[in-house]
Amino acid sequence: MAPNSQTILVVGGGIAGISAAIEAAEAGADVVLLERSPTLGGRVAGLNRYFPKLCHPTCGLEINYQRIKKNKNIKLFTMAQVATVEGQAGNYKVTVKTTPRHVNAKCTACGACSEAATSEIPNPFNYGLDTVKAAYLPHEMAFPMRYVIDGSVVGTPEGDAIKSSCKYDAVDLEEKEKTFDLTVGAIIWATGWKPYDAARIEPYSYSESPDIITNVEMERLAAHNGPTKGQIVRPSDGEPARKVALIQCAGSRDTNHLPYCSAICCLGSLKHAAFVRQQYDDSQVDIYYIDIRAHDKLEAFYQKVKADSGIHFIKSKPGSIVVGEDGRPTVCGEDTLGRDIYANAYDIVVLATGMEPCSAREYRVPVEVEMDDYGFIVPKTGNGSGIFSAGVAQGPNDVSTSVQTATAAALRAIQAVRG
Amino acid sequence: MTANMAATIPGQSARKYDLGFARWVYENIEGGDKLSMCMQCGVCSGSCPLGTEMDYGPRKLFMMVRAGMKDAVLKANTMYNCTSCYSCVVRCPRGVPVQYILQDLGRAAARMGYQEAKTTDNARFAKAFIWSTRKFGRTDERLFTFKYYLSFGLGEAIKKAMANMSIAIKLVKTKRMHLGMPHRIKGTKDLNAILAKAAEIEKREQGI
Amino acid sequence: MSDRKAGVYLCKGCGIGDAVDMDAIEQVAVSEMKAPLCRQHDALCSDEGLKVIQDDIDGGEINQAIIAACSHRVMTDRFQFNGTQVVRANLREQVIWCHPANDEDTQMLAADQVRMGIAQAAKFDTPQPWTEGDFNRRIMVVGGGVTGLSAAREASLTGHEVLLIERADSLGGWAAKWSRRLPHRPPYRDPQDNDLGALVSEVEGDSKITVMTGALVTRTEGMPGKFTVEITRGGAAVLETVGAIVVATGWRPYDANKLGHLGYGASPDVVTGVELEEMLANGGIRRKSDGQAPKTVAFVQCAGSRDPEHLPYCSSVCCGVSIKQALLLVRSDPDAMAYIVFDELRTPGTAEEFYRQAQEAGVVFIKGKVKSVGADLTVTVDDALLGEEVPMTGLDMVVLATGMVPNSTNPDAEAEADEFQEQLKADINPAVPIPSAGFANGGEGEEPQEGFPWPWKDKTPTGGSILNLQYRQGPHIPMLADGFSDSHYICFPYETRRTGIYTCGPVRRPMGMAESADDAAGAVLKAIQAIGNAAEGAAVHPRAGDLSFPKIGYDICTKCRRCTVECPFGAIDEEEDGKPVVNITRCRRCGTCMGACPVRTIGFDNYNVQMISDMISAVEIPDEFAEKPRILILACENDAYPALDMAGINRHQYSAYVRTIPVRCLGSVSMLWVSTAIERGYDGAMLLGCKSGDDYQCHFVKGSAIAKERMSKVGETLKSMMLEEDRVISEEVSIADSARVADLIDRFAGKIGELDANPFKGF
Repeated sequence: MAPNSQTILVVGGGIAGISAAIEAAEAGADVVLLERSPTLGGRVAGLNRYFPKLCHPTCGLEINYQRIKKNKNIKLFTMAQVATVEGQAGNYKVTVKTTPRHVNAKCTACGACSEAATSEIPNPFNYGLDTVKAAYLPHEMAFPMRYVIDGSVVGTPEGDAIKSSCKYDAVDLEEKEKTFDLTVGAIIWATGWKPYDAARIEPYSYSESPDIITNVEMERLAAHNGPTKGQIVRPSDGEPARKVALIQCAGSRDTNHLPYCSAICCLGSLKHAAFVRQQYDDSQVDIYYIDIRAHDKLEAFYQKVKADSGIHFIKSKPGSIVVGEDGRPTVCGEDTLGRDIYANAYDIVVLATGMEPCSAREYRVPVEVEMDDYGFIVPKTGNGSGIFSAGVAQGPNDVSTSVQTATAAALRAIQAVRG
Repeated sequence: MTANMAATIPGQSARKYDLGFARWVYENIEGGDKLSMCMQCGVCSGSCPLGTEMDYGPRKLFMMVRAGMKDAVLKANTMYNCTSCYSCVVRCPRGVPVQYILQDLGRAAARMGYQEAKTTDNARFAKAFIWSTRKFGRTDERLFTFKYYLSFGLGEAIKKAMANMSIAIKLVKTKRMHLGMPHRIKGTKDLNAILAKAAEIEKREQGI
Repeated sequence: MSDRKAGVYLCKGCGIGDAVDMDAIEQVAVSEMKAPLCRQHDALCSDEGLKVIQDDIDGGEINQAIIAACSHRVMTDRFQFNGTQVVRANLREQVIWCHPANDEDTQMLAADQVRMGIAQAAKFDTPQPWTEGDFNRRIMVVGGGVTGLSAAREASLTGHEVLLIERADSLGGWAAKWSRRLPHRPPYRDPQDNDLGALVSEVEGDSKITVMTGALVTRTEGMPGKFTVEITRGGAAVLETVGAIVVATGWRPYDANKLGHLGYGASPDVVTGVELEEMLANGGIRRKSDGQAPKTVAFVQCAGSRDPEHLPYCSSVCCGVSIKQALLLVRSDPDAMAYIVFDELRTPGTAEEFYRQAQEAGVVFIKGKVKSVGADLTVTVDDALLGEEVPMTGLDMVVLATGMVPNSTNPDAEAEADEFQEQLKADINPAVPIPSAGFANGGEGEEPQEGFPWPWKDKTPTGGSILNLQYRQGPHIPMLADGFSDSHYICFPYETRRTGIYTCGPVRRPMGMAESADDAAGAVLKAIQAIGNAAEGAAVHPRAGDLSFPKIGYDICTKCRRCTVECPFGAIDEEEDGKPVVNITRCRRCGTCMGACPVRTIGFDNYNVQMISDMISAVEIPDEFAEKPRILILACENDAYPALDMAGINRHQYSAYVRTIPVRCLGSVSMLWVSTAIERGYDGAMLLGCKSGDDYQCHFVKGSAIAKERMSKVGETLKSMMLEEDRVISEEVSIADSARVADLIDRFAGKIGELDANPFKGF
């Protein structure tokens, strides 16, 4: 039976979803790309640099955004997510729910609304490490380049002021949640991941000290467009963080939390060690680990980080992190190679929290998919299926592997829609 | 099991990584079947409030089990320093019941006649505790403490008692320690019957 | 285009009209630049604004729209008018957002932006795509192992004919030898059936796939859509035409004979993981010495991998493979014991569950490094946790988990001529030291440390090429360090320096069967894109869809060969007399050839030497007494230019003396542009490009490195003109440098301000 629709729906606008959408579109397919948040880029947009090259994710995003802008085959909806799916391969009826941005397509990104806004909200881009005006551009690399108005100002004098500040009639405070329908032939789930909730690892005292942070927060701290403009400092007092502990497997490889290995955290922490060492000459970084998993050629990155005299590797899963009398976080445990019991104080402690697929807890995939015990959507191959997964929705993948899976998913989706 | 029987347990050879002892532990020690899941991360030793008091932390002890170092394992004081706080059990990423294994290893060592099992502070303390329990049906702080001190010999016992006199006086003042005739519970006989039954069950479970 | 009718549209929105005198700008456009039409609007991107432009187009008033508004990076989709050329002049991000309002210098900058836009439009032609001849849609897959079989099948399922070439006499590759495969489906606990046989049958029964076994590719020429390959089989050669090529030549085990210290060769019962696998597939594990089933087996991890003397990288799959083999051993014989001696146990992702299964089954894991394996099978382990060297005795068998060597060359083939051996050397060192403190703050820190050379760097893969490419730049597919034919770009794993040729599977990166099959699908999609784009005359990534291509003026060409040498993609070949020939569908449109050409006779319809020179010349140069220096910035359009835009978004202020022109790549920068600027009276010039070197980020591989090289010669030219050398500089600017770039500009402007004005002003 010939498929009814040759359109491919890509759910999720992170690096996997972007890649799947573009790769399919550049092979001639019609693509609808949905993103739940106001801008594309997902988790990678919030990274300071990639391992192992220490290059900026925005560089590749810029290329990809240019590819999207120039490609007429891609339709993009932000602040949109899938509500229901019915039908079968070649003919899925999808209901999409959109949440209000309160800013329409007339927005020129001039910024007048932000100037008119007076209240501040926790900045989602910086994981709440700072605040942003209630009318805001998600970040300087936002795509689409369009402002967002937080729902909290709707119906307030501030909201009215914001509305009247816009010369282009782009503010729509009346906007409500909406739904619309799509008919598509294949769907690629690229719904990505969430950092594992560090507060659940109770002995690590994440909630007890502002100087105990997660790896994704470290990325924002080190980023030029982060809350500190790239200065790696103690969140508690803004002093330079010269002595830093990086705690591997904070949640991962742990049957009490995430039983699988998140695969990227070792390399992420090697990168964080480099961030600190790049910034402060007299810095010291201690990496607490079980196994350093720098697979394939990434071994070179491990070896070169290891060669830095300011970076130490301690083979130990710390027992606890306590806040010392001086307020400094202190890492306690046993060095398994030396068998010393240690209690080391640091300026900041970074928990290398693992990746939890959004499909595990965050939302329910509204269509029958094969899912493993962890919430990863098992990739499908071969004939008959119209539902595919890519990126971390599929498994704990790094960026390159996510793009790899996205490209493969794009091909298989094309096979599905072309019958 | 007697000291002689200990010789029949594998692991007597000097050979490292003789799996015999590890297998014996897997099969005979409570929770031992989970010991193979240990990935030597160290969270148990690092979480142990008495880790610094131990000859080896639990992690290293488990590694020695695997390496076939039977004597060193059974001579260690590790098992007797465990206070059953369960931090290790709760935090172990591999679900190893560390505390149970330690307890049972300690019992096994005692049964096999390893002197360390009898001479560590904890063993002496436990002995005095069980003496008091059997005799009075409860702990008598004064007598049971002195009984514990006596296990070091009379001279040492007096020294220890004198050294702790100020604490004792405070305990008495705050009515935490009782002077005069020891209090007893009513059914010490019944209690001893229960304890005897428990010992019997234990023996049966050990297959002796 | 002879009858250009350019309309200039000045947008006053977003505060432009408040910060700049737009009437004055209109005067410049109309009176000075002779624009036939100029309109102002309050918001050009609004529906009403767009209608103004569309009406002019529909009325035949214009066929080129010069839109002076925001950056070309935004509103790209709005400012598209079918068939009408659009040129953007950036008045927002790079004028009013980073320079003071209603200021003389800001006004002059805005006027110059419009002048440059008009000059650009005058030399801008709509590219006509090159689509000459027939384009073949068939995909050749080289290698008939799990990767190649998967690629062939995926291509066929997508409707493409496939030519599958396998060197051996039968399909299947290494994977055909495996008894069971690593678990890749939930619950990830047990070795899974090796289903490769089914895949082989599918391929063999697929009418779209032509299989050639016992065959080698002995020659490849042509370009995407038009490759001609010579396939030699049993001494006879045939020619075939294909549209794109997927290289899935896989791997080979590291030569265990080099691992004498691990006992290989000393005892027949020291075997490799591959040998053990063959035993498992053929009736079970037996000692070679006496045919007995071993009771106690030690697995030695990283046998040759992660070892500077052997393979410096991690072969990724060996931990999983040894776990699988140990599990199969202890499950088949309850008395058997298995030890796995490892340094770092690497079971990433869901493979962690497989590790737990092995532990549960009683496999013993020992963290340490194996120092030696004796002929009596005594394995001496430097046990990291015991902290001592421990001899393991009483073993019946020792298994060496040897690593993967990529088949980026054919080790059995004869090596190509010496001149091509250089191509096998890695051009980057992955162990280049991380720059020390200070780097992030603008390169004022210490010199980078020496670091250590990556052990593989000076070793070269042995043997001959896989495809024997008849390219000016040699027969090999470029490879990175360690001999893998991978992409250097994290975001773009299928990036290739040989357009239309995509590698996948373990020749790209060590990987297992499941990932190889997925990787094959990805590579096939890229091959399909390459074929489709070639047929339409369009570029592939990163300038996807670009219809322009380099044209060479042969009447002027001196056959100097610079373009053929410098093309990062090997797109330009030479005829015998040195005449350059562009293989257009190989070209990625970076313009490096254009920048290389000393006689400036290479150009694109919409991007050429004259166009940029005219833009440079269009800028008004105040006389030397005005004390208003002018600085030309040539900025990489993907990183430096967006960084400048973001400097605007963040309202970072910087000198208004700069005049910025985006370029496709610094590699496309003609030195003529710099000399034109100096002759026209600019006081300085800055080239802003991507990071070069080992961790290069240049999207066209070497563009920024080449530009640096060329720049080193500019100094001489300046000296000969009696000018200071440091009037022209080159800086690496990343896309994240929006704050730093403003600072760089100000510092440079400050330096230029200290120099005397360029004496060529007003000449």
